[in-house]
Parts: sequence; structure tokens; C-alpha cells
Amino acid sequence: MARSAKRLTVGARKALWGWAFVVPALAFFGLFAFYPIINALVLSLHSKNVLSLRPPRFVGFQNYVDLWNSAQFWNSWKATGLFTVSTAVPLVLVSLLLATLIVSRLRLQRFFQMALYTPAVIPGVVAAAIWLMLLDPRGIANQWVNFVLGVSGIDRKWLASPDMVRLSTVLVYFWGKLGFFTIIFIAGLGGIPTSVKEAARVDGATGFQLYRYITLPLLKPTTLLVSIMAMIFCMRTFSTQYLFTQSGAPREPINVVTLGIYTTAIRDYQIGLASAMSIVLLVVMFVLAFLQFRASRTQDG
Amino acid sequence: MRNRPLTALSFALAMTFTIALAQVEVVYWTHEDPNRTALEQELIEQFQAENPGIVISRVTHPSNALAQLILTAFAANRGPDIFNMETFNEYPYIVNQRVAPVDPVAAGFGSYDAFYAAYLEGMIDPVTLDRLPYGIPLELTNWAIFLNMNVFRGAGLDPLTDYPKTWEEMLEIADRLTVRDGEIITRRGFDFRYPYYLNFMVPMAQQLGGQLIGDDGESAIVNDEAWLRVLAYFREWGPHGRNLGSPTYANARALFNFDNDDIGMMESGQYQVARIANDNPGFLPGEGWMVVPFPVWEDAVEDAAGAYYGHYWMVNAQSTADEQEAAWKFIGYMAQFAEDFFERAGLLQASQAVLDSDTFKNHPYSDIFMSDLARAPAIYYGDASPQIRQALQDAVEAVMLQNREPAEVLVTLRASVERALRGEY
Repeated sequence: MARSAKRLTVGARKALWGWAFVVPALAFFGLFAFYPIINALVLSLHSKNVLSLRPPRFVGFQNYVDLWNSAQFWNSWKATGLFTVSTAVPLVLVSLLLATLIVSRLRLQRFFQMALYTPAVIPGVVAAAIWLMLLDPRGIANQWVNFVLGVSGIDRKWLASPDMVRLSTVLVYFWGKLGFFTIIFIAGLGGIPTSVKEAARVDGATGFQLYRYITLPLLKPTTLLVSIMAMIFCMRTFSTQYLFTQSGAPREPINVVTLGIYTTAIRDYQIGLASAMSIVLLVVMFVLAFLQFRASRTQDG
Repeated sequence: MRNRPLTALSFALAMTFTIALAQVEVVYWTHEDPNRTALEQELIEQFQAENPGIVISRVTHPSNALAQLILTAFAANRGPDIFNMETFNEYPYIVNQRVAPVDPVAAGFGSYDAFYAAYLEGMIDPVTLDRLPYGIPLELTNWAIFLNMNVFRGAGLDPLTDYPKTWEEMLEIADRLTVRDGEIITRRGFDFRYPYYLNFMVPMAQQLGGQLIGDDGESAIVNDEAWLRVLAYFREWGPHGRNLGSPTYANARALFNFDNDDIGMMESGQYQVARIANDNPGFLPGEGWMVVPFPVWEDAVEDAAGAYYGHYWMVNAQSTADEQEAAWKFIGYMAQFAEDFFERAGLLQASQAVLDSDTFKNHPYSDIFMSDLARAPAIYYGDASPQIRQALQDAVEAVMLQNREPAEVLVTLRASVERALRGEY
């Protein structure tokens, strides 16, 4: 045994150590990420009442056919799509802008980073609960908007009107995630070698040219990461919509796919159908992320 | 001699182990209710003293989260031994055989006949399947209208005579009591109890001859005219109509007790009496607040009050035989104190003994609640009741908040309820 250990090359030994470090993480992900996905995939091919003690009944792709024919499921995708586009795009742009502004400042950088990041550490449910108070008809949101516009007594219907309740969910999410993505951009900006910028300056590049032709291209991997993460985060949004609907907001405009999964499993007891919805969501997120990668590589080419 | 401490320790350990083995732990999940919690904690201590072999672990959860927590626990086969929920949430547990039939002997009733005889006729029906009862009443509730007399007087109305008897009057009086800053409501005249639409919306349609489920059990939202009237009423009530309130405002029952001039009337059950006394002892029945019957339409064809519903104690069918027996024994013990539940928590367990008691007769507005109960339909309960409640909620939100046409919403509502009845997504 000792002899065989001695025979291992340095590279093989390093690889063994590498595996030793990686295996716990793999086991963790296998147990808590891959197993639930496989389990959901299997369940999605079955009809199963979550309360029933009867074993699941194999139905093949019937759950997927039902989803295809369900107007409610398509409405959920509309709500998810609207939310993702109207949240993820501003999130990427504004967090990039804020990161650039913060990095360009010599003083109070840490303060701004901390101030922006604070909402990211507040759980989504708590954030939504705070926002519910602000968006109450008698809350600060109406008072502030009316003050700014120089009017009084107008109810903006933040939680009541379909368009406004969509906007409210976007606001809550945008506020919660902006700091997180700004910090990632700040890290990306810090990774750009100063020598490249200095060389461009020596060649006479203006501040705008430096940003447009040096900073943005070199920041592309970070931008790609942030845009994919923002898209995936937005497609998985749940707590804001859940809490808003629990507080009387109309369900239809903000009935995102994750909320549909929840109600199908918890209210309707149809865990097989809810699993099929989860798998569809996973596939769509995977395909969109893949397309973003491809688009990025095509631009590089 | 030297071994004596070791022997004593071994003996103590063995005794502890033996006692632990001999004890049966019963886990009881219930919703938060401060008045009931105090009473049940006392009863648990008494019960444990009388039954040293049984330990009761009582866990409370917020009422709006309880149904979800119990469902996920049962889905994982880790449900509590005892739980309670509203009837329409409990019925699927009976249908899916997740709860055990009442053990009348362990619960102290002796037989099923004696058990049924202990309660008002029909009160056990919502938890009966194939002539077997699956629950013991924790509370049986019907809602009447709680009215803030100070708000009425402030608006120049006499609460004793001017209270709303019809839904048409309710609209007018609520409008008169409502105070706004521009469009923003600072005092509501009346607040419906969103989102419990099975409790108040279905009886409103029923008064006009409407039915939630047809006699054939498959058709739904029967009598278009009745349901259109109800949907139009909610549209007029909402921000696109007279702007008298909406589901997005804070629940009235969280505000009413404090008499802060922000709510005129609301719907609630008899338990509210104890909660008002708890929250605001100076806000007195007959002086500050009163209770009036559930209104009916001017041209009603049926005199229906708000639907009555129950919370029933149930026992997990997957618990061991010992746990089930201990659970029924404990529930039966608590049921003996029905009068205390009514006196201290305002919870009516609908037992004949309580109804005959002076405590009940002298309780504020018991007569109103009882006369309403006599004309109250049972809340709809069935396999698909949670989905049907959601369909009603979606319909009210569509007319009230999205300003959709009642006729268009009626079509969607009917389709949703019929789909729920067929078990389709």
C-alpha cells in the first residue's frame, strides 16, 4: 500500500488532493441540487396528489401536454417574461453605471458599497413586507409621489391596479438586488489591468474612449455573468409576488411561473404537474443562458 | 461500597430510559390565538398531571401559514399527531385518508351515538365521510356584522336603528361612513373579510337564488343573474366604483378593536368579543360596539346568513396506535371544557351543554349569532375547496381591481370552478 502510494507522480498526488477537496462540494450539490432536479424530472412524468398515500401514477408526458394547453400557464410565462425584461435589463445597466461611479470616486467608496449592498442581505420576504407598508394607500409611496408632483390625495394604486402592481414588484426586486450586482461589477472593474488603461491614455484616448474601447470590452465576462445571473434570478422570483398576492394584490398580473408552481403543488396538491412546471422553467433558463453565452462568443469571433 | 455511586447512576439512567420509553409524546399544531393559548396551556398541565404517561407538545403557527405547514409536513409523512384547520382545508385530509376516525371511547364519549348527540345536529357533518366522524369541534363560527357605534354617531346615524339590513343599505351607509383624503381612504365604512369568499360571497349569491355548485355536482356558478349582481356589487364597491375599500387595505379585524376611527363595520365571529376585551377593555359592548345580523338583498329569495365553518381537531392516521389513542384522549379532555373555551376565548364548540349554559346566554350578542346560525348555510367543503376559493378571489379581484366586466368574469369563474371540480389544472 505504501509502495503504491510512493509510485504516484506529483501530478497524480495533486489530483488526489484536488478530488479530496472537490468531493464534499460535489456530494453537497448532488444531494441538494442534482437529486431534487432528477426527482422532479421523474415526478413530472407522474400524476401524484401530494396528500395521497397512493403511489404516483405514470402518465408519460401528459403533464407537459396539459401545461401546453393551459391558458393559465401561458399567462404565467407572460408575467415572468414581463418581469424579467423590465427588471433584469435596468438591473444590469444601472448596476454597471453605479459601479463605474463608485470606482471613479476616491473617497467614501466603502460607504457607498455598503449602503448599496444592505438591501441584498435583507430576506426577500422581509423586504416585501417593508414595501407593503410603504405601498399601502396611506403609506409613504403615495405621499412622496404626490409631494413630488405637487398634488394631494391621489391613490397610485401600487398594489391594486394591474400595471402598478407589476411596477411595484419590479421596484422591490430592483431595490433588493441592485447592490449585489453593483458589487460584482466593482470587482470586475478592479480586475482590469491599469497598464492597459495607462497605455491608452499615453496614446491620447479621452475618458469616454477609454471607457468605451478599453473598460467595457475587458468587462465583458463580468457583464455576461451579471446579465445571466440577473435573468436567472428574475425568472426565479417568488417571495415578492407571493406576499403581494397574500396581501390582496390581484394575482393575474404577477402570477409568475414560480407562484404557479407553488399554488399547483401546495393549493391544488398536484405535485406531478408542479414538477413539470419546474422542469420547463429549468430548461428555459438553461436555454436562455446558453444563448447568451453563444451570442457573447459570436460577438468575440 | 465503592460501587454504590455507579450503581445509583446506572439505576437513575435505567429509570429515566424506562420512563421515556413508557411516555407517549403527542405533537399538537394549532393556530395562534392568545386567549385560547392561555386556556389550553392550563388544560395541558392538568391533563399531563392526570396522565403521567402522556406528554403534549403544543406548537402554534400563524393562522395564514398553518395550512401550508401542515400540508408540507403531511407530504413528507411527518405530520403532527393533532392539528386543526378550517373545514374547507381539512376535508381533503379526510378524503385522502390522512386522518383517523374519532375514537369515541378514548375521547370519553363511549360511542358514536353519544358523540353525535353531544353536539348540535349537523355540526359533525362537515367532517363525516361514509358515516364515520373524523374530527371533534374546536370552534364553530358564523360571522355577523360588528359595528362601531362611535363611528355611526359621529356620522349622524343612530346605530340602534340605522344599521344596514340589506346589501343595498350597506353600500349607502358604508359610503356615508367612509372618509377619504382625495382618493385615499382614511376610514372605511365597512370592510369585507377578504379573501374568505366562501364565507360571505357564496351566501350573498345564494340569497339571490344562486348556487356555487349545481345539484348535479358538476355544474358550477348556477344562476347567472344572481352571480352577476354580486360581481357588479363588488365592482361598485372597489376603487373603480364608489371606492369604499379593497383587499389591499389592512384587514379591518386588526383595527376594529382599537376604536381609532378608521373602520365603521366589519365581519367577524363570536371570538372577536374576547379579543376586543383583551385589546381594548374600555371599548364596551352596547356602548362602543354592537353586533347586527348578516344583511340580505332587498329582493332576496332566500334568507341566508354568512356561512358557518368549523375548526375541528383531527388526528394523524400515520401516528402510532398509542399516539392516536393518547391524542383522542387529550382532545376529549379539552372538549369537556367547552364552556371555558367559550367564556375565555369566545370559541363555540356547538355542544348542547354550552348552548344551554348561562355563560352562553349572557354572552354579548349570543342571540344575534344564534339567530344568524339558524339561517346560515354550511361553508362549501370538498376535495377542491381551496381551488374554488381561489377562483372566487380571482373573480372579485378582476371586477374590483382590474375593472373587468362582470359578464366576462363570470365565464372565467364558472370555467375555473368546473375545472377544479374535475380535478384539472
